[in-house]
Amino acid sequence: MNELGYIESLKRRILIVDDEEINREILGHILEQNYEIAYADNGETAMSMLEDGGGRFSLILLDLLMPVMDGFTVLERIRGNERLTGIPVIVMTSEKPAEVRSIKLGADDFITKPYDMPEVILARCERIIQLYEDKSIIRSAEKDDLTGLYTREFFQEYVTRIDTYVGNRPMDAVVCNIEHFHMLNEMYGRKKGDRVLQATAAALFSLLGPEDIIGSRPDADYYYFYLPHRDSYEEIPELVQARLAERIGIPGIRIRMGIYQTVNKTRPAEHRFDHAKLACDRIRGDYTRQILVYSREMNERDLYEERLIHDIDAAIANRDLIVYYQPKYNIRGEEPQLCSAEALIRWRHPELGMISPGDFIPLFESNGLIQKLDHYVWEEAAAQIGRWKKELGRAVPVSVNMSRVDIYDPELEQRFLGLLQENDLTPADLMLEVTESAYADDAQGLIDVVNRLREQGFRIEMDDFGTGYSSLNMITTIPIDVLKMDMIFIRNMNRDEKSLRLVELVLEIAEFLKVPVVAEGVEDKAQVEQLRKMGCDIIQGYYFSKPVPPEEFEAFIRKG
Amino acid sequence: MATMEDLRAYGANVDEGLARCINNEGFYLKMIGKAVEDSSFEDLEKAIEVKDYAQAFELAHALKGVLANLALTPLHDPVCEMVELLRSKTDTDYSSYLERIRTKKAELESLLQ
Repeated sequence: MNELGYIESLKRRILIVDDEEINREILGHILEQNYEIAYADNGETAMSMLEDGGGRFSLILLDLLMPVMDGFTVLERIRGNERLTGIPVIVMTSEKPAEVRSIKLGADDFITKPYDMPEVILARCERIIQLYEDKSIIRSAEKDDLTGLYTREFFQEYVTRIDTYVGNRPMDAVVCNIEHFHMLNEMYGRKKGDRVLQATAAALFSLLGPEDIIGSRPDADYYYFYLPHRDSYEEIPELVQARLAERIGIPGIRIRMGIYQTVNKTRPAEHRFDHAKLACDRIRGDYTRQILVYSREMNERDLYEERLIHDIDAAIANRDLIVYYQPKYNIRGEEPQLCSAEALIRWRHPELGMISPGDFIPLFESNGLIQKLDHYVWEEAAAQIGRWKKELGRAVPVSVNMSRVDIYDPELEQRFLGLLQENDLTPADLMLEVTESAYADDAQGLIDVVNRLREQGFRIEMDDFGTGYSSLNMITTIPIDVLKMDMIFIRNMNRDEKSLRLVELVLEIAEFLKVPVVAEGVEDKAQVEQLRKMGCDIIQGYYFSKPVPPEEFEAFIRKG
Repeated sequence: MATMEDLRAYGANVDEGLARCINNEGFYLKMIGKAVEDSSFEDLEKAIEVKDYAQAFELAHALKGVLANLALTPLHDPVCEMVELLRSKTDTDYSSYLERIRTKKAELESLLQ
């Protein structure tokens, strides 16, 4: 992997600024064997070439006395432009006093007039370019010991350098990751894991390159590559996987790739790879695709999510978050009876309008901010139940959602008990919903928490039942009071036999566990009748009501 | 076409000038050809005529640099002397310098024919 050779072989660009054509040509003639040369005949032209940014220069050779704009002004302008201060300047002069003044203005070296012998000029240029390039590299390990790819800092520096020397060539930023790598480490041991990392690096490098490419392993099982644009990467993941199977003997290793094509070179190198990584992470665990190309829409989505994350505190403080209530009806008797409600959050953003919970709940679940939302909902709901009890003389139990992160909150119990106390409630007033998949994540941990809460008198509903991965064995051992059947089964039960069978199965499991079932997402009478016939106890859905704000929910309580 | 011998006989420091052109005779001659066509010579005469010594200094200074690089000593010397006088804006009779420059330039031009 001789990437450095590739970088070293790139021709550096030198800008010669002199108003005398003959001087420019003599210098250019000397330097053109080793460098790519551009010319400017006065300071103004030079500045516009420098500021244009299309391919950076590695060195500026600057005459001082020139019409239109002289060399001193150029030095001042370079010093005032952060993007240009990294380019060394050699001043060409025959005047001693001018040397002092140019040094003060940031010149790095001098070439006297008449010019020295070509060897001397070449050596000076080479030395100063080398010096600047070394200066800009953080002195740390250059290569990752394991894979031979660059470390993060060096990689970024070299990406910048490639931009400098290949100018306008379109480039792609590619981020690859090994799916469930930690599992490989656990299953086969660290040594084997390291071999997977090595072989993946080698396979990616040779399949994406091996010419004109640089690579890095900035972190664990992430790989970054910078290479000339290609239209398709379609075959790469499979080829890499085939090589891994052949060389390591572990079948079924999956890699995924995020690609930011024809990068915008005005953005810093790390941003480009952030985009590619975002694409790569977006398809984590998605077994239908292994490649995602970063798009403008993703960027917009990204910015939108950033905005939501940024605005959440203000939303809480300004009470832009509103808790709605959706009634649940018991259908066992002659007439459906209101038996409880679920508290659901809505976000009325002052600028973006109503934001769908589908937009922010999964987002906040992924970054832990959901805990803030949960606390807000619990407090609001508890206070609301308290008010109803006081004002209407009665209320219905309200269930609130508990997220995965809440389960690990050591003060969880105290928090709920505090809410009961503050609002004069009993544990029967507040029910807690835990999603089935949370059980699958850490069954024992969750069981312990749920047991403690039940001992305090709280009732626990298992939410989204049927979509998680609970085994029958686990279901029988976990403590729950209600099963909430996922709405997907209800939606499809009159359309396909399989969903109908699953509804029956869930109802049978509930019967076995001796707990009632809540069917969510019920929309029409036919569904209600069918569910009643099948023995379902409780219905939640648009058939009875959509989630409504507390003032509207009052009417449901009054009607009983 | 001038040879290196012609240029030596003329008084140019050919070794030095040629070395600066990485010993490429064709390139060296091409640059000398450009130098004699440089309008700065005429502009310098005009500036002296109207006693615009600041402008004359800039022109002479630029010529001096080019002639030094090409090691055209017979032309470089009078230009160099003028530069020093013009630097301090000396109001003197420059005609003898201009005459020397004209003569040496003409000599060079005839060599290049």
